[in-house]
Amino acid sequence: MGGIFTSVMPESKETLIQSMTVFAVTMGALIGLPPSLTEIYRSDIKNAYQANGVPLSLGLALINISAFVHLLIMSAILYVTAPLLFDAKIPEHPETCIGGLVILIAVSLSIASIIGLAVKDTANTSMFSILLFIPSTMLSGIMFPSEMLPRAFAIAGKLFPATWGYKLMTDSAFSLQTICPLLGIFLIASIVCKVLLKRIRTR
Amino acid sequence: MTNALEVKGLRKSYGEKAVLKGIDLCVRQGDIFALLGVNGAGKTTTLECIEGLRAYDDGTISVNGRIGIQLQSAALPAHIKGAEAVRLFAKWNRKTADASMLAALGVDNIANKQYQEMSTGQKRRLHLALALIGDPDIVFLDEPTAGLDIEGRISLHDYIRNLKVQGKTIILASHDMAEVENLCDSIAILKNGEIAFAGTVIALTEKIGKRYNIQIRTGQGLETYESDDIGASLITILKSYMSWQEKDTVIQDIRVDRGSLR
Repeated sequence: MGGIFTSVMPESKETLIQSMTVFAVTMGALIGLPPSLTEIYRSDIKNAYQANGVPLSLGLALINISAFVHLLIMSAILYVTAPLLFDAKIPEHPETCIGGLVILIAVSLSIASIIGLAVKDTANTSMFSILLFIPSTMLSGIMFPSEMLPRAFAIAGKLFPATWGYKLMTDSAFSLQTICPLLGIFLIASIVCKVLLKRIRTR
Repeated sequence: MTNALEVKGLRKSYGEKAVLKGIDLCVRQGDIFALLGVNGAGKTTTLECIEGLRAYDDGTISVNGRIGIQLQSAALPAHIKGAEAVRLFAKWNRKTADASMLAALGVDNIANKQYQEMSTGQKRRLHLALALIGDPDIVFLDEPTAGLDIEGRISLHDYIRNLKVQGKTIILASHDMAEVENLCDSIAILKNGEIAFAGTVIALTEKIGKRYNIQIRTGQGLETYESDDIGASLITILKSYMSWQEKDTVIQDIRVDRGSLR
């Protein structure tokens, strides 16, 4: 990705770290997390937990923490290696970039958790994950500037956390206008996860 | 003696199909009780309603004590090790796992083994240990010996008897008459969603006889006999085969069991 971006669009080196990170985080969260949740909540593991006093939310919490740490490590590797391999520019405001990254990971995992809890099998989780992943990356502005997109697509892109995460990571400072949509998505996703867990518990 | 479990008028339907049609059960504290029935009779549904894992349509359930549950089908994440699973369940039950219990079930031997690498018997023993971690008063075992070899069955039966000695009430679902006769104080037979018999094993034997199944395999095929008097019947049957041996009828295998409610 780093090689293609920089050869097609040399100016992409300015934001290559952020682009690669948003792409990798979105993919890792949306495609990596749901099957693990489906394995727990649509199998006899759920029964074993529920039968002997282990809270059902534990699986969700542990998998999210594990994925969060892994995505953070992966992002750190990108941050260090992209300048060496692709001559990518180090972000001018690393604190904003890292803060934005943390928020993006949390929000992306919350969306992925909905897929993992709502969908019944791993074949279907893959389908729903890809349905979310492709527009997330295509419309977020990481591959080409969102100003180049048709207006309808640009508006649709604002529904995905990748768009706001990328903006947050490339901004010079946090702005409420960028953080609020992410927090809104996270809040809604958390409520939906809670409802889905309750449904799973009483099933 | 007080009752560990009382169930009155338990009803459960899946859509239009009534699976439990008003079940009444009563289990005394300290007893080993078995719920018998053919596959699909509703044993697991009954247990899951009592355990609080499945919603039921009507009836009352009264459970007197802490419960531990070994499900018929249970699993753990593939990579979790035996010791990690024990620590996890102990932590959430706010208990320390009883080392003697773990040793008696052989769980200490699989402490560092991942769940996916365990045999069926090891998984069964681990799940039983997890059910006992909370030091329950009542232990539910759904088909506890399914998939176990003879040695595993005998070992598990011994441990279940040991639980009774400790004063625990055991409620198990089974379709194996021999297992039930070996272990249980009282039983209930579930048939078409209703209790067809409830009482002691002795009372059931008096009512229907012992009904041993004798299977004899020869070069000519398999012959099956039923009898209440195993000793006399075997002698008679074998004598008749001995006389046939002159006609090249050689006994290849003999099996005797108490049958099962499949």
